[in-house]
Formats: sequence, C-alpha cells, structure tokens
Amino acid sequence: MTQTKTPNIDRRQLLGGTGAAVAGAVALTTSSGEAEAAAKAPRWAMVMDLRRCIGCRACTVACKAENDVSLGRFRTVVQEKTWGTFPTTKKGFLPIMCNHCEGNEKDKVPPCVKVCPEYPGERRKWPSPSGKKIRYRHGATYKRPDGLILIDKSLCIGCGKCIEACPYGVRSFDPFVKAGKKPTEQAADKCDMCTHRVENGVEPSCVNTCQGRARIFGDLNDPDSEVSKLVKEHNLKTPNNVLLHEEGTNPHVFYIDPDNVLKTIYKQRTKGKLDHFVDQIT
Amino acid sequence: MTNLDRRNFFKLAGASGAALATGTAGSQQALAGSLKIPSTEASGLDFSPTTGKQRQTIPSSCWQCVTRDAIVGHVEDGRLKKIEGHPDSIRTLGKICAKGQAGVNQVYFPDRILYPMQRVGKRGEHKWKRISWDAALDLIASKLKPLYDAGTPELFMYQYGRHKGSQSSIMHDFMDAFGSHTIGTHTSVCEGPKWVGQESLWGGMYDNWDYDNTDFVVNFGSNQFETHTNHIPTAQRLIRAMAERNVPLYTFDVRLSNTAAMSTEWVPINVGKDGLVMLSMVNVIMNEGLFRKDHFKYMRVSQDHKASVDDKIAAVKAHVAKFTPEFAEKESGVPADKIRDIARGFAKAKAACVISYRGTVMHFHGADQERAAMLLAAITNNLDRAGGRVMGVGAGWKHPKSEKAKVQKGLDIVNGFPGEAAFPTHQVSQQNLPMIKDGQNGRPKVYWASCNNMAFINGNNNEAEEVLKDENLIPFSISSNIVYDESSQYADIILPDVTYLERWDYEDMVSPTGVAEYYIRQPMIKPLGESKDQGEIFAGLAERIGFKLAYTTKEDFVRQSCNMTPGVKEAGGFEYMKKHGVWHDKNAKPNFGFFEAKVDVSGDNILLDGKTGVYWNWKKSGAKDEADAKAKGYLGTTNAKNGYVAQDIEGTPRLAYPPNTSFLKSGLLDFYSDNYASKGFPAFPTYTPTPEHQKMGKDDLHLTTYKVAVHTHSRTAHCKWLSEIKHDNPAWINSKTAAERNIKDGDPIKVASDIGEITTTAHVTEGIIPGIIAISHHMGRKHSGIYGSGKSSPISGGAAADPDAKNMWWKKHGSHPNSIIPNSSDPISGGQRWMDTVVRVSRA
Repeated sequence: MTQTKTPNIDRRQLLGGTGAAVAGAVALTTSSGEAEAAAKAPRWAMVMDLRRCIGCRACTVACKAENDVSLGRFRTVVQEKTWGTFPTTKKGFLPIMCNHCEGNEKDKVPPCVKVCPEYPGERRKWPSPSGKKIRYRHGATYKRPDGLILIDKSLCIGCGKCIEACPYGVRSFDPFVKAGKKPTEQAADKCDMCTHRVENGVEPSCVNTCQGRARIFGDLNDPDSEVSKLVKEHNLKTPNNVLLHEEGTNPHVFYIDPDNVLKTIYKQRTKGKLDHFVDQIT
Repeated sequence: MTNLDRRNFFKLAGASGAALATGTAGSQQALAGSLKIPSTEASGLDFSPTTGKQRQTIPSSCWQCVTRDAIVGHVEDGRLKKIEGHPDSIRTLGKICAKGQAGVNQVYFPDRILYPMQRVGKRGEHKWKRISWDAALDLIASKLKPLYDAGTPELFMYQYGRHKGSQSSIMHDFMDAFGSHTIGTHTSVCEGPKWVGQESLWGGMYDNWDYDNTDFVVNFGSNQFETHTNHIPTAQRLIRAMAERNVPLYTFDVRLSNTAAMSTEWVPINVGKDGLVMLSMVNVIMNEGLFRKDHFKYMRVSQDHKASVDDKIAAVKAHVAKFTPEFAEKESGVPADKIRDIARGFAKAKAACVISYRGTVMHFHGADQERAAMLLAAITNNLDRAGGRVMGVGAGWKHPKSEKAKVQKGLDIVNGFPGEAAFPTHQVSQQNLPMIKDGQNGRPKVYWASCNNMAFINGNNNEAEEVLKDENLIPFSISSNIVYDESSQYADIILPDVTYLERWDYEDMVSPTGVAEYYIRQPMIKPLGESKDQGEIFAGLAERIGFKLAYTTKEDFVRQSCNMTPGVKEAGGFEYMKKHGVWHDKNAKPNFGFFEAKVDVSGDNILLDGKTGVYWNWKKSGAKDEADAKAKGYLGTTNAKNGYVAQDIEGTPRLAYPPNTSFLKSGLLDFYSDNYASKGFPAFPTYTPTPEHQKMGKDDLHLTTYKVAVHTHSRTAHCKWLSEIKHDNPAWINSKTAAERNIKDGDPIKVASDIGEITTTAHVTEGIIPGIIAISHHMGRKHSGIYGSGKSSPISGGAAADPDAKNMWWKKHGSHPNSIIPNSSDPISGGQRWMDTVVRVSRA
C-alpha cells in the first residue's frame, strides 16, 4: 500500500526495536496520500510490551518534564507488584496511562467524555492527513477522529466529573491551569499522547525514552504499522490484553503479556481516590 | 553501525548552539489541525505543549551518573524544558533513563547555590554571607599561594567524586601546575576491587558485555536494569537480547531487584558467596570437559608461564577441585543442581557473558571474587570475544597541557592506613578523612571538595562530619557545589558550581560495541546566578598564585581539545562537535581478539624475560643499562611496564594483555599472580570467607545496601521528580526473619551494628533471602534542599522559587545506612566492604 520506502533502512535496523521500525513504517503512509489507509483518519494506539518493561520509570519522568506535570499527580505511572513465596518470588511492572478508549459498542463515547457537561459541544471538522475533513463533536473532554481523548482546558469548568468517571483513574486536576470556563476551579488534566509532538511527526515523550522499547506507538488503521502488526501477532484484541475490559470502554492501550501477569500486577482505583496512580518505589 | 542518511536527516546542524530559530520544523511542520505521522526520523525534536512552537535543540551530554549518555536538550524562551537521548549516539541509541530525564531539576530547584558564600558563624552553625567572586578567589589564593611559594604544594588537597573527561583533565592539569599530588578520589567506595582484580589479569580495562551477540548471560551482584556505570548502553541491549532473541539471563542476588525480577530466573545467593559459586561453575565446566581451550594459552595458572595447555587444564582442575557444587550449595544456598545447569548452559552457549559488580566485589577479598568471574569467562573463551565479556572502548581525547610546577609532592593519605591495602591502585578514599584525623602522614592545610559529599558517601559518615567540622584538622575548607549538603555545611567557603547542563566538556565514557564515541557537553542555557565552571575558577586562581594555564576558559579548553584530537579534528573539530555533539569513526570495527596480534620483536634493546616470557625494551623501562636490566629482570625493574613489547605465546611474540596501569604484570592473564602471592594473598582465585560472617550469632543479620533506578547515591535527592517517586527507604526483610522478631510490614525497627544504630521501617517481603536486611543508600539526607531533606537550605541562592514546591506532598526522607557501616577495606584492593556488616534488628 505504500509506494515510498524509508531511506533509512540501516537506521531502523540499528534501532532494531519494534517501536522504531514501526514508526518508520507509519511514516510511509502519509507522504503518498494515495494509500488506502491514509484516506481515513489514523487511529492512534499504544502497545505495552511487558516482556520489555524493566520498571526504570524513565517514561514517568519524561512525561513529567515534557508536560510540566505538577508534583502530586502523574499522567503515566509504572505499577509494580511482588508476589509468590521465597525463593520463587516474582515481581512485575505495569506501565499505565490514559487508554484513549473508543467507548462502548453502542455510542462509542468513553465514560469520561460522556459525563463532561460541556460535551457534546460545538460541531467541528478535523482535517485528516489526506486532506479529508472529518466531523466530530467538541467538548471540554472529547474524542477526536484520530481516536485521541483530549481535554480543551479553555472549555473546562473544573467539575471533576471526568476524573471520577474514568474507571482507570488517570485524570486529575492541574494545579497550574485554571478551568477556562470557570476560573475559580482548576482544569482537568491527563495524558494527551503528546499531541504537540505527534502533530509534528514526533513520537510521544514516554516512547522516545523507553530503553526496552516496551512502549510502541502508532496507527492501528495502518496494517503495516508496528502496533497493527503486534496486535495481530500477539492477538491483543482480547479481554486479557487490555485493562478492565469488563467496563466496556474499549481501551486502546494493549499489553503484550505472555506470562499472564497483567491482572496480577494491576491495582485498580478505589472510588473517589487516585492513590493507585502515584508512582512509588518501595 | 553507521548511517550517513540518518545523520544527515537529523537536523541538529541547524539546531545547534544558539543558531536554531524556533517556530518551524521545516518540512516536518504540520498544517494547522492536521496530523503529521510520528517517525523516529523526527526524534531529536521537541515542541511546546502550550504554544506548539518548536523548541531550540542543543546536543550535549548527561552527567547524572557516570554513564554520561549523549543527550539533546530542548530549550524554550531561554529555559531548559526537556532532555532526551541523542538519537545519533552509537552508545545510547537515543535513550536515557529516569535520572537523565530529571536533569532539568538539577538546574531549577529552589535551594540551588548561585553565589559564592563565606561562612560567618562557627562551622555547622549555618551562618553565611554572600561575597563576590573576586573576594572568593582572593581569599582562596591567599591560602594557596603561601603553600606554593614555600614549596609545600602537597598541603593543598583536592577531593573529588565524579570528575571525568575534560573535567578530570583540567583538575589534574591544575594540580600538576600547582604541584600537589594530594588528590582524593572515590572509586574505592564504588567498585575499586573490581578494577584491582581485573588489573592483575588483563590490565586497566573496563569490562562491558557484548549483548548484541551473546547467547547466555549470568549476572552476579549487578542491578543492571536499574543502575550501572554504563547503564543505558548496556541494559537496553540486554533486555532486547532477551525479548528479541530469547537470550536467558540468570541473576544471582540476595534481593529481588528489578534486574532479578526481569531475569529468566532469580537465583537467591547468600551474601559474599558469588566468587565461590563462580568457582564451582568452573569446577563443573572443567570436570565435564565443557571448557574451551582457545584462551588457555593466554592464561597463566601456575608459577610456570610456559606450561602447556594440557598442564594448565590440569592445574585449573586441581585449583577448583574442592569447590564442588555441593560445597558451594552449603555455603551459598544455591542448589548444586542449579549451579550445574547454569554452568552447563553457560559453557555450551556459543557466546556467553558473565556480569559481576558491587554485590560481588564490595566484600572482604572482593578483588579475588572478580578474578573468579574473569576465570569463568576465560576458560569458556568468552573474554574479549563477540558475545562475551569485552572491553568497553572509550574516546582517546588529546588536550592542552599547562607547564608543571617544579616542586611535585603529595601527602600519603589517600591510600589507606599503613598495611591496610596491598594494591590500592584506586585509592582507599573512605579512609581519607580518618587519616586526616589520625595525622600520622600529615594533614592538608587547604581542603577542596568538588562533586564529593564525604560526609554522606562513606562508611561511618558521622565520623566524617566530625573531621570536616574540626578546624584543627582541616584549617581551610572549600566546597564546590550546587546544593547545601552534609559536607558543604562545614566548608569555610562555598563556590557555586555550574550544573552539567550549563558547562563545556569533552566526554569519553565507553561503548560496549567496541567502537569509541567522542562526544561533548555544551551549555544548554546561560549558567544561573553567578555559578561558574571549575575551569574558569582554576584560571582565576592560577593568575593570582602566579602561574599560567594552557587555556583561558573551559570552552577554550574543549575547543583546543576538539581541534587537536585525531578524527574529531578532521571531522571539523570544535565547530563540528558543537553542531553534532557526537562523532565516531565510521570505519572503526570492534577490536575483539586484539591480544592475538603478532608483534615484531626484532628491534634494538628488546630482551626476553625468562621468568615471565615478556619481551621488553629495557631502555624504555628506564633500566640503567642492559646488564642491570638482565640482572633485575622484568618484574624487578621499577618501570618495566613502560618497556613492555610482547608476550611469548607458545613461541610466538604476541601483544597479549599488556600491563597498562600501575599494576605490574606479564602479558598473560595472571590467574596465578606473583603479585598477589608476594603479599600473602591467594595466588589463584579462591574462596575466602568474610571473617565477620564466621562468628555471627543466631540473631545476627547481614546488612546489604543497593541503588534504585531513580537515584544516584548522593546527587539526585534535590531532583523533585525523582524524590517524588523514591524518598523513603524502608528496610527489606524476609517475612520469616521478620516473624522471628515479631516485626510486621510498616513497623518501625532498629538496625544496630557495632558502630551505631538507625531507626527505619520494615518492608516485609518475599523478595529477599531470610537472614538479610537490605537498605537502599540514597536517603536519610540531613541537607539536600527542600525536596531531598524536607527543609530549605540555609543559603538562599536567589533562584526563582519553584511554583511546584507548594505541591510537594511527601514527608518522609528515609534513613542512611552508611552511618552504621564501618569504614573497612578489602585488604587486597582497599575497596570499602559495604556488604560485610553484621547487624541486629528489632522492633523500635
């Protein structure tokens, strides 16, 4: 489906990691403009390869720096857990972040968007890379046609409903930014997949720094992308390869988990609290 | 490993220095609202999340830890916002760790020292006044000049922690120009025994591992996935080898570190038994005939350097006969069958790596345990081969040199007390302050500590504080620092250092792939406040004392170095390095197997030494004449190693492993070491139990310490993003050991040794061997600013207050295990025995 090949085969081999190779593959689709995949919007997604996460927290800190995330909250964390009995003790790591959910089968609106009093707001058009304009409903929290769940802080009223509604508990108030429509309150905040980088052709900050190449970012609508290939190769579209499948949120962060440890490690939020989403090393 | 396209694509050329215009990303620029597609080709760029503007990108290098990754910094409106790995680095492949990501915190933290400060109260009263740089330099010169003029330069002591690359060069250059050899380091508290063990074998190498080509990895006592002196270049290659090629990793450790957790298997091992298990693996490999003969001709395993390979095989078998897997199981707790399985896997693999680090060597006879690791690698032909334990290869910079002072002297206070260490080639720095206290070998009148917090990093650190506080012991004390800490609190003058993100350097940390990377550090922003690079300070002092240096500023030093270093010079020298940050020889290949090179020994003055089989040039060795050289022989001539030419290998002169440190050896891997034997230590690697461990009572526990992924030992506590993740250090204790003491998870506990007691909390876990308590050694800061110690420093640096400080939420700051660990050295190497302390643990 792509006419051009990246000039950079050696470099990709050098990086070797799946993440690098994938992103290169993604790059091909855009420039052609003729490719079938490019005619529709991308569907951004993240694959987390738990075989490769060594719990180093470079992603956690990279995100803090990139997005100036205040102390006391995070946009991504690594959960870790020790289990078993000495000497066959195990320990595992689980990077978590906003799942950029597709929403349930019925209305395809994720719970955080659904509860936003400012949604559905203005009708807007989003220009896809192929130049096609795709309609969507804006809001303080909204889903863009490329699948990213974003926050427009200028529209936020700081009600906190989205923070409560997210079953993953990945949202928090940003003490540095006022809610645009109600400046007595603070705006909600969460991972935006580094849209400011993605829109400029650069991978998210957490992906960039991941030495194990445990984080792979790309376009699920491009069958040649590394995320598409990994989803296929490892059969990741199953209830066992995402977090809280039972919530019906259709999350778009997929976990490669051959040892089946995801559910063992994952610590869910307690209602009304976010203490599962504070990165701590014992 | 080279890629011209890639290098051209990466537009750092346009992004370097102050040259980059912000606002557009050229062809990468997206149409408003549309999406560009992510690509690694665009890495190295960053944009403001608030304005979308492209940030200015400057190549430089990290310094959070000694790995010193090549990085790029992204600057927005004059403020450093973000750091990433340099995408063109052949060492790091564009990756950095959590500490590297938090480098921004080193520049902007509310307690940063930004002006020269002079003490006005008593030492430790925390009373200071701001003075000008001129006043500071005048004052220091007024203390140094009399020493210089009187011909007693040795009374000026410089104590450093991490000075590497050009920072090390300018310091040695200044000290040589002044004439003082009283220079204290820190390697003996780090991993000195490892190097002393290796120097007796293959010389002054820095071992790394060729994970890209390995098939099997055995890890003793290294937490490589969290922390290592070459962490990013090695750890990422190891995890990828595991994920992509199913390479197994077996980690022997007392504790379930992240490395152990991610290993194919964590093999719990009792404290101090790594060398024994290695020797029992050698036993299995030798007895089962799984060894490879290839490297034996480069090994010396008995007094006879000419022994045949068969004789050597028999000798190794005899040496390790008693270290059966059953004996090793009894001592180490590792099942004999497990040892056999891993030994067989290791020996049968096409290529295999044996890792060893602090867990192995920071013990009694730690240097000998390192020799056991080398033996395991050598008998399986995994030494300096693709896929094996290899030499890290670093850059060979040239630099300008100032004229040396006529008088060159040093105080004998950096190598430990008389008789303490046989081969302190990496000093005995934990005893520097105790020796000053003792006074038998003299005391410095001026003490200058830079990048070294002696009162935190050594054992018995409370004693170190007492020495630093005492004006009778240290009459004048200077501290170069960015943060008020446990040591600088007792200084007479504090000089505001620049951070690594505000200064110039050339850098040279090794590459594990066998191809050296040359790289530089350059300021990403203008130094904050009046902070100043050590290079400028040295130049200012030299002028006041009355000698000249070969450079004017650090930038000048780095410029000259770039323009005189072969390779870098031809590539475009300083201007090229400013633009690109990194350079390597694209035609260079790994020099694996260099030791096999045949050497022409037909020149004049070359003798063949009968006792060692070394060909040596007696003239270059400084011997009086040929007769004298012949009479004294190679080992008996003081500077014989300067004349080393080749080693006789089965009748052929080959380069072998030349002596390239102060440790005199033949060209063979001296597994039988005359040097060790001559000092009463085992000539061949063996197992020597730690004396303290032989007389432990039934309630006694072992204390071990460790590092976590997000901190260096003593220089990151003030980094808020790191301390937010790790600010407390509860003691790991096995559930069984805890239950015996009625200790529950989270309980306050007392940990007492023979020299003191600390109170901490218990982390009851199945992730540690019963009978051991493990405490990370970063915490318990008395002073390290608000984020590190919970209290603001008494020196107001004038840095803009961090608006984030009000969001700081953690109240705990841990406790420091070093205060109950005595300063006690490995008698072979002088390394601090961090892992040998015996403690009693009870509920507080």
